Amino acid sequence: MFSKDNSTKRSSIDLVLMISVALLALIGFAIVFSALSTSPLGQNAFRTQLIALPIAVGAFVFGWLFNYQIYSEQYKNLYIFIMALLIGVLVFGITQRGSHSWFRFGIISFQPSEICRIATILISAAFLQRHKQEIKEFKILVLLGIILLPIFALIMMQPDFSSVVVTAPALLILLFAAGVNIYYFCLILAFGLTAGIFPILWTYLSLNPTLADNFFAHIVLSLKDNIWYILGFSIFIFAICWFFKQLLKQFRVEISGVLIFILAGAILSGFFSGLFVEKKMKPYQRKRVEAFLAPKSDPKGASYNVLQAQIAMGSGGVFGKGLFSGTQSRLGFVPERHTDFILAVLGEETGLFGTLAVLFLYALLLWRTMLIATLSSDIYGYLVCCGIFGIFFTYLIINFGMLIGLVPVAGIPLPFISYGGSNLVASMWAFGIVENIYRRRLTVI
Amino acid sequence: MKQKDFFNINRLRFLQYASYLAVALIAFRLMDIQLISHEKYALAAEQNRTQILYQTAPRGRILAADGKTLAGNVPSFSLYYLPGSQKVDKEYLSSLSSDIASFLNTDSKDILKLLNKGVKSGKAVLIAQNISPKRAFSFSELEVYYSGLYLLEETKRDYPNGAFAAHLLGYMGTMDNKFWNRKEENTDYRLNSKIGKSGIEKRYESELKGRDGGLYLEVDYMGRVKQKLKDNKWAKGADVWTTLNFDVQKAAEEGIKKSITGRGAAVVLDAKTGAVLAMVSAPDFDPNVFIAYGDEGIHPSAKKIPEYNLALQGMYPPASTFKTITGIAALENGRLDLHDHTTCKGKIMMNNREFKCWKTHGPNIDFMEGMAQSCDVYFYELALKTGANSIEKIQKLFRLGQKTGIDLSGEKRGNIYGPSKRARNRTYWFAGDTLNLSIGQGELLLTPLQMAVYGAALASKGNIYRPYYIQKIVDPQGHILKENKPEIIARAELKEGHYEIIHQALKGVVDRATGRAARVEGIDVYGKTGTAQNPHGDDHGWFLAFAGLPGQEPDIALSVFVEFGKGGSSAAAPIARNIIKAYYGVK
Repeated sequence: MFSKDNSTKRSSIDLVLMISVALLALIGFAIVFSALSTSPLGQNAFRTQLIALPIAVGAFVFGWLFNYQIYSEQYKNLYIFIMALLIGVLVFGITQRGSHSWFRFGIISFQPSEICRIATILISAAFLQRHKQEIKEFKILVLLGIILLPIFALIMMQPDFSSVVVTAPALLILLFAAGVNIYYFCLILAFGLTAGIFPILWTYLSLNPTLADNFFAHIVLSLKDNIWYILGFSIFIFAICWFFKQLLKQFRVEISGVLIFILAGAILSGFFSGLFVEKKMKPYQRKRVEAFLAPKSDPKGASYNVLQAQIAMGSGGVFGKGLFSGTQSRLGFVPERHTDFILAVLGEETGLFGTLAVLFLYALLLWRTMLIATLSSDIYGYLVCCGIFGIFFTYLIINFGMLIGLVPVAGIPLPFISYGGSNLVASMWAFGIVENIYRRRLTVI
Repeated sequence: MKQKDFFNINRLRFLQYASYLAVALIAFRLMDIQLISHEKYALAAEQNRTQILYQTAPRGRILAADGKTLAGNVPSFSLYYLPGSQKVDKEYLSSLSSDIASFLNTDSKDILKLLNKGVKSGKAVLIAQNISPKRAFSFSELEVYYSGLYLLEETKRDYPNGAFAAHLLGYMGTMDNKFWNRKEENTDYRLNSKIGKSGIEKRYESELKGRDGGLYLEVDYMGRVKQKLKDNKWAKGADVWTTLNFDVQKAAEEGIKKSITGRGAAVVLDAKTGAVLAMVSAPDFDPNVFIAYGDEGIHPSAKKIPEYNLALQGMYPPASTFKTITGIAALENGRLDLHDHTTCKGKIMMNNREFKCWKTHGPNIDFMEGMAQSCDVYFYELALKTGANSIEKIQKLFRLGQKTGIDLSGEKRGNIYGPSKRARNRTYWFAGDTLNLSIGQGELLLTPLQMAVYGAALASKGNIYRPYYIQKIVDPQGHILKENKPEIIARAELKEGHYEIIHQALKGVVDRATGRAARVEGIDVYGKTGTAQNPHGDDHGWFLAFAGLPGQEPDIALSVFVEFGKGGSSAAAPIARNIIKAYYGVK
């Protein structure tokens, strides 16, 4: 597909991408209408969605017409603007659903972290563009981390875990596409995996108390609060890494001691991040992890939600029960039916046709975004496309994945389909930018 | 074209394929959920949203041959509380519960507990079931005052004649484990469903059952009732037409119950078909006690019932009724001369053992007189002439000692004996045994049903019928599910004129001797009394009879057995008389 040379065509908009976005937004609009019709939120919520739609179209047009290279030029100001928004929401914002992450203007509320996801990609891409000569060096990663850390810290203070859950994998994809040294990439992965695995391990062990007698289980459990065990574990990790270096020597692969030291450091900092997450995890979030680890153990508990969502989808069959006719969603068996579990409503009311159509349109979006990345006239456009691809790929995996039992319930909406004005506006803006990159594919700087 | 060296084509490819893989994986799983496992989830969704209030369907009726209802249905009501969307306060619930309790004679606290459960869970709760129409009327007034009360009409079994033919009809009761485990065959059973536990109710459960109806309510995820989805009307069960003759059964029951012990059995068969016209076993029971209205207050002790059906499970020595067999054996063997006569001295000596007659009959006892007076001495001597082997052969000819093949569980086969059976068991046969056998004592055991089938064989001159009690089973649409035709299992052929001799002898019994108590003016009654010696108490009374209009073939055959009745002529024969009178409508 990359070999196909579209650069000779002089069209200023990629119709496939635009039509996909329009269709998704249309389907989303109908499904949200249906899901909200019996919701206690009802009319008010639908009115907000109605207001958001023209704003979102405006955002798309803005993104399409506005030269994307200006984001790169002004990335410092963009950074300041985002920081101001995030600090502002902590000071002036209001609390909804346990998160202090909304601005309220009259009847409209606005969630700045949605805009931040796109902005983070724009800023990171601008930074990487400026350092494309040193992209393989480790200091670039450290610098990028330092730049992004305040943004993540402010988002975590709201707290808005779901924003982090989507942005972090998207950044990884961006770094991967930017050509970061695969070794450093593995370091970051090691960090992320350790950070993720330990809370899951601890939850798993608390679910299976009979395992506590096991020697390894005992060690893992003690790592949670025993300072001596943590110290021992740190030394053990360094020892393992050094042993690994010696092992590689046998195969005539020489790795510098510094790198091994950094690897151990990455694993350990991953462990401490995991410890931090474990301590900060809210009961409902732990329930979700538990439900993911043992979905059948407690059908009326946390996994009940996923089960009911699956029943809704499954009962829709191939053709669905028709809009406004899904019993599972209408009678409230499907939780969060207009946001995180909107796909269950879609599946129940429009059947396999509906879900496959949405999946297909998403696949189209991802394909076109990738294609436009290769057509881009400069590296910035390329990087931004890859970042946006990363964001929507993550959305797709998590939202579909949680319904089919692939990943834990993360409370993440499906852009275009789920209820939520801020998300719709941000998503439209993102694809507007992609269209602009397409439009300017032939411009020579 | 400028060179685009800034992108890494391999890594892009990798991302591209990763996204394809993810999309394919998701699509596959979506198809799994929405296409392959669709039915499982559709069922789950349907179960999620519906709550069903079941309505027990009316069972098929059990009818006498003339159409009189032996088992029918009466309305029965169940009281539900459906918590709706309206708010209820404590006072409302407490006044509702005390009102309900005052009608049900129960504690209002229990009712309040149920109501609160319903309000809390939002689910419909069953407050009371099996309410009589009289009480239901009071509740229907409450239904107007209190929203949320719902009176559901159901039906319950009713036996309008009480204990009438109770052993044959059977009774209803709650399911046991064994039945519950078999219920996959018919899923229309619930934990509180009542099923037939014996008799026709059990044997034809699946035909009588019908299909239960139900009120389907749509409920939300909290179980709150949203709306009535549909009202599935029940389907009535099939009617079972028995062959019972209402009047005959009534006469037989009254006769047995009014006898001196009130215990015994009677079986009346149509001598031309083998259809059961009456079947009585006493003591009996009232099957209504198991399914009484909740507000009737039945004492639990009433539920301990005599389930034992004497008519087909009770085995007794046939005593003098067996003399007909001895007579037939001698006739067939050519050893009976109707003009031979003997003198009864009240006893006979055999191998230094004394064998008594019940009375000293004096001289000139020939076959007719010996049968009429039931003289033991005459038959002792006859048996010695013809030999025990011939008697054993005739027992088998009439299929005594074998099940009659009636379609009821628990039938006993009785017991017969003779020299060949002794030989098989490697024991000896003595001359005294021949004497005992000739008058139906010793190891001989017959059920009243076998006796009646034997009577029908004598009456029809050799037709051994399979007794049946179901005429037909007809479903509500008029389709005949089952129909019984008379079935002759075997023929007991005798030589020319021998049946007539036996008929003449048996008519003599009734006309002028031991069976006089069974005489009916204008009807030819043939009979034989029997008094079974009982070492454990009073003797049992038997009467074997058949009857017909003068000069015509006999219509009915019957056996009457009165446990501890002391004598066949005194206890059993009068009952037979009433039965025959009832059959012919003689006042």
